[in-house]
Amino acid sequence: MTVSATESQPPPGARRAVPAGLELIDADVHPSISDYTQLHPYLPEVWRRHVRKSGFGGASSGILRGQGGLYRADAAPPEGGEPGSDPALLREQLLERYHVRYAILNGGNILGLGTLPDPDFASALAAAYNDWTIDFWLTKHNADGRFKSALFVAPQDPLAAAREIDRLGDHPHIVQVLFTTATESPLGHRRYWPIYEAAEHHGLPVAVHPGAEGRAISGPPTAAGWVSKYIEWHTCLSQRAQAHVVSLVCQGVFVRFPKLKVVMVECGVSWLSHVMWRLDKNYKALRNEVPWLTELPSEYIRRHIRVTSQPVEEPPDRAQFLSMLEMVDARQTLLLATDYPHWDFDDPLAAFAGVPDDLKRRIFFENAAELYGAKLGTVAG
Amino acid sequence: MANGSLRLIWGRVGMERARGRHVIARLGEFPVGARKIVRIGGREIGVFHTTAGLFAVRNSCPHQAAPLCLGTITGTTLPSAPGEYVWGLEGRVLRCPWHGWEFDLATGAGLYDPYRHERVATYEVRIEGDEVVLFA
Repeated sequence: MTVSATESQPPPGARRAVPAGLELIDADVHPSISDYTQLHPYLPEVWRRHVRKSGFGGASSGILRGQGGLYRADAAPPEGGEPGSDPALLREQLLERYHVRYAILNGGNILGLGTLPDPDFASALAAAYNDWTIDFWLTKHNADGRFKSALFVAPQDPLAAAREIDRLGDHPHIVQVLFTTATESPLGHRRYWPIYEAAEHHGLPVAVHPGAEGRAISGPPTAAGWVSKYIEWHTCLSQRAQAHVVSLVCQGVFVRFPKLKVVMVECGVSWLSHVMWRLDKNYKALRNEVPWLTELPSEYIRRHIRVTSQPVEEPPDRAQFLSMLEMVDARQTLLLATDYPHWDFDDPLAAFAGVPDDLKRRIFFENAAELYGAKLGTVAG
Repeated sequence: MANGSLRLIWGRVGMERARGRHVIARLGEFPVGARKIVRIGGREIGVFHTTAGLFAVRNSCPHQAAPLCLGTITGTTLPSAPGEYVWGLEGRVLRCPWHGWEFDLATGAGLYDPYRHERVATYEVRIEGDEVVLFA
């Protein structure tokens, strides 16, 4: 393959140049907060005092992370601070390197708020993080508008979550609602419907993201119970996503909220075909339990569920990778994500090498442009 | 596979061919709740007398060729809002004995198929005098 003059040169060590004309929307980027005292101005006094004394209380699950830690080893800012905390480096390593037109920011190190036992503290933390995100990432460092962000809510108190969506949901750079997959109940449960009602009202998709599995009130991190190794924990993160999708469809969430979209972030991809096929098969026998479903379950999934790609499965046979994309109807359901700056980052050019251009365009840009709609500014791309 | 193909062909022919008249029971011997599976040519057909009337369908589920007419006669939940339950079609629903797929005895439509493409062949049953007559 020849490199034309219009293609940008990859940085040292990178093997792939971004093809001319290719643009991405990265559906999962994690900015970090360099110092949690930055949240203090946004917290009510009672919670500020609590944080000063005992931190966020976001205890780990106790499962030891592997040797590498959370981040890519090359993503630490030269001046110090957490990887992902320096907007200039994030722009250089992600936005410029991969021609990312829009980065969907899904917060950093804050997902665990959804598993805190105190819903009032969790809601206050979410609000403070949202205010800081808007000031720092969406205002101070966003002259070109390429940073879009999720709005954190605490699922422990869905009514408070709905109020938070009402408070900030119409901000021009807030493009989705976000909370942890490690919820107390499957997402179809009616306790969560106020969140869906508010999100639908403000035209925002609801995204859920793993990572807090096994913390505080979340229960065991896998369907089979507790595991001892990070490799087990990480591999099983797709399990809750499956239960959530089945629950959302069967409980009639998309019948009640026909404009709602739900994004399963970082939960894997290929399981979606299993869920669609098994759910459709079971619907034929058990439809009478869910009479509000008047279409096959897979139709609701295709219309309402989106999954992000990273960490995308890497079968040894590339033909199986392409089959997987077909099996999950990636043309409609899959959003490109890198997870920058975490250790399990996917290089989009490597991860989707060999995928036909028209399908790649759907995954890299169009599916997200259709999902996030007018808030991305130029939907036509 | 050969059997499957034959089944399909018979199903279509059964709907289209000039139908024969078959007396399957005297009405007094065929009260509400009765069913009878008869063999006509190569076809097995189940005849039912339910609270909703007289019905006849092929004794073969379009899914995996289970003996459909050995299934349960029931009603089912009708389309409704989430969390609401509306019972209907009592006496008109046949649940396959294997996997529970539901069919509307009156139309043959698979109630599990939102697009109503899948169906089991149906036949006319009439009471003539004191005879239950199947046209198939």
